[in-house]
Amino acid sequence: MDLDFSADQRDFRDQVRTWLHENKPRDERPRAAAGIREYDLAWQRTQFEGGWAGISWPTEYGGRGLSLIDQLIWFEEYGRAGLPSVDANFVGLNHAGPTLMTRARDEQKAQHLRPILAGEVVWCQGFSEPGAGSDLASLSARAEIDGDELVVSGQKIWTSFAHVADWQELLVRTSRTGSKHQGITWVICDMHSPGIDVRPIRTMDGEAEFCEVFYDEVRIPLSSVVGDVDQGWSVAMSTLSFERGTAFTAGQVRLASTVEQLIELARERTGPDGRRPAIADDELARRLATARAEVAALRAMTYVGISRSARTGTPGPEGSIVKLYYSEMVKQVARLAMDILGPDGLRYVSRWIPGGWSGNYLYSYSQTIGGGTSEVQRNIIGDRILGLPR
Amino acid sequence: MDLLPSADQQDVVRAAADFLAQEMPRDRIRQREAEASSVDAAAWTGCADLGLFGLSVPEELGGAGFGVEEEALLFRELGRHVAPGPFLSTVLAAQLAVAIGDADLVASIVAGKTTVGLAALRAGSTVDEDRVRGDLDLIDAVEAPLVLLLGPAGAALVETGQLGAVQTVPSIDPGVRLATATGVDAPVSAWLPAATRPLYLRGLVLAAALLVGIAEACRDASTEYAKTREQFGRPIGVNQAVKHRCADMAVQAELGMAQLYFAAVSLASGRPDAELQARTAKVVAAHAATVNAASNVQVHGGMGYTWENDAHLFVKRVEVLENLLGGRTEHLAEIVALPAPQ
Ligand SMILES: Cc1cc2nc3c(=O)[nH]c(=O)nc-3n(C[C@H](O)[C@H](O)[C@H](O)COP(=O)(O)OP(=O)(O)OC[C@H]3O[C@@H](n4cnc5c(N)ncnc54)[C@H](O)[C@@H]3O)c2cc1C
Repeated sequence: MDLDFSADQRDFRDQVRTWLHENKPRDERPRAAAGIREYDLAWQRTQFEGGWAGISWPTEYGGRGLSLIDQLIWFEEYGRAGLPSVDANFVGLNHAGPTLMTRARDEQKAQHLRPILAGEVVWCQGFSEPGAGSDLASLSARAEIDGDELVVSGQKIWTSFAHVADWQELLVRTSRTGSKHQGITWVICDMHSPGIDVRPIRTMDGEAEFCEVFYDEVRIPLSSVVGDVDQGWSVAMSTLSFERGTAFTAGQVRLASTVEQLIELARERTGPDGRRPAIADDELARRLATARAEVAALRAMTYVGISRSARTGTPGPEGSIVKLYYSEMVKQVARLAMDILGPDGLRYVSRWIPGGWSGNYLYSYSQTIGGGTSEVQRNIIGDRILGLPR
Repeated sequence: MDLLPSADQQDVVRAAADFLAQEMPRDRIRQREAEASSVDAAAWTGCADLGLFGLSVPEELGGAGFGVEEEALLFRELGRHVAPGPFLSTVLAAQLAVAIGDADLVASIVAGKTTVGLAALRAGSTVDEDRVRGDLDLIDAVEAPLVLLLGPAGAALVETGQLGAVQTVPSIDPGVRLATATGVDAPVSAWLPAATRPLYLRGLVLAAALLVGIAEACRDASTEYAKTREQFGRPIGVNQAVKHRCADMAVQAELGMAQLYFAAVSLASGRPDAELQARTAKVVAAHAATVNAASNVQVHGGMGYTWENDAHLFVKRVEVLENLLGGRTEHLAEIVALPAPQ
């Protein structure tokens, strides 16, 4: 039981901090799709060229080949520097990349992994469908095998960044016999293929980050299947445990910084009585203190999770505990900001702009839905961690 | 960085866990309800024989030489078993005795011969290096020759006999004996300034450990019941109203445990934010234990409301611990005022 970082790790932290400070993007993130793509990829390229992409990815794929602890240090400094979340690169770096590393064939790895790190391509995740959200295994986008190709027809929805993506991790149904978990195939889909129609959906914060995607006899080579045909469910599950395991670390550090910013804000702003600072209000002070305590404990829980993964080698179902608690906390903190702002919170400011508390508040609603809803996380905790009957 | 206990650290507490399961089953609390002391002498001596009171006492003074991390693991087990007896004040007093170099007192505590109760100051009461004055709440102190006081300036030991008339008070918790002493003006027999060794923060971490143990025991009791109790022809745990309650209990227990480890290591390694981490550990663990204990009653239905079921023992001990060494409101006020965590 220790919190010691070795001399090398402390050195590494200093280097990360310095590099991020010197190289972080200085311009505001654009709002339009094309601009977002360019901005996110350019930033990823800068990291890659500086030798900072994929800290814990093996060197053969262009990563640094360092430990999970070094990865943690990177995420901590990244979050602390107030840097933009990796949005358009999220799926590549945190779902598709790790899944390909553990499940793909060598040629597939050789083709796809380095471009993700190098900031050359955007990936998206085509899992959810209109009829298959929480019940992902009931998905029905159909794929017929025709020679050495899969022919895909159907629809996906809520696909983040599909409108700017080059590749997609796509789940399709290749067989209808057996249980619904059988007959699913995990395939790499080229988003520039003929027959794909992407339509952005406007979200409640007014932005458009996810899309509907329609597939009309889209041809995908069978060589793009990861794992075996009909065996994609287990591949998909490994993706999800990566998503729930380590992918939220930077977000957690950012959340801790947000709480500190709120404490500052409450010291500066006049509170609800119109005279004293907001922090002098007992209720607000207590909620800020609770938030500070809870994000501290959230960090401890992240450290426990990383310690556990370092021992076992793979992220376990405990990631669902972190995901559930983290996403519920994001909402609470965003709500708290609105209560500190009072009527000033009515002015809409995008979450991409400093002081974008109202935009952040609206965005926070997505956090307990995307990546599996809180209810689904509770099911997973009950079934897989506690072993309760189904 | 590895925040989980090592195999060695787990071994340290395994023997204690086995002993507690055998010799201090929760049912013993009910059996001893009418006794003056909540803990029987044989069990206390058994704990001493296992070295539980000297776990973090240096080896040259007859202890095992471990630190607050291992002690926290032990206290988590004590919490799980809702172990009766003044463990917290006794091991803190051993630390005090070590710090002031009173080898005889250390030896006597480690051997299980001297137990130390806890005394809490009511508002307006004071303790300094010479005297304690005012009104005190006494926890498991009546049978103990000494009481420990943790004030803002430091920690004091006072002879129980010097407190004057002590009134026993019926206790909400059948495993904890309560009393009060009013108008006390008694000499302090040993004093450790807070600046020398933060005994109070150590107390917070150990109290958090007791609470984490309770939060975990409640999660386990509810999960077990949800798997076995059947209604409408199937186990109640298939219903999400029950399942999700259990899942939330698992989240709370994990959170409390993680922060406990973080705080214990922070204290042991002298991190600058140790105070914030320790207070946070107490607040988070108390919340976890409070909601888990309440949920555990609900999951057990009518059975959860009985004297026979252990659910009430958890509820009651949580209440005692929440009020020990400062409650939620007090800690939150400090947490928001302290510098940001490191
Ligand atoms: C911002 C955002 C980005 C997203 N990005 C992507 C993406 O890139 N790719 C992708 O594939 N998907 C993406 N999603 C989709 C996301 O994974 C789904 O929205 C989510 O899994 C829930 O599915 P659903 O929307 O169909 O809701 P439903 O499953 O219909 O759920 C509706 C409500 O019912 C509850 N519910 C459903 N089943 C149960 C059950 N068994 N027990 C208890 N409660 C239940 C849910 O918790 C929820 O409250 C994104 C979603 C959001 C909000």
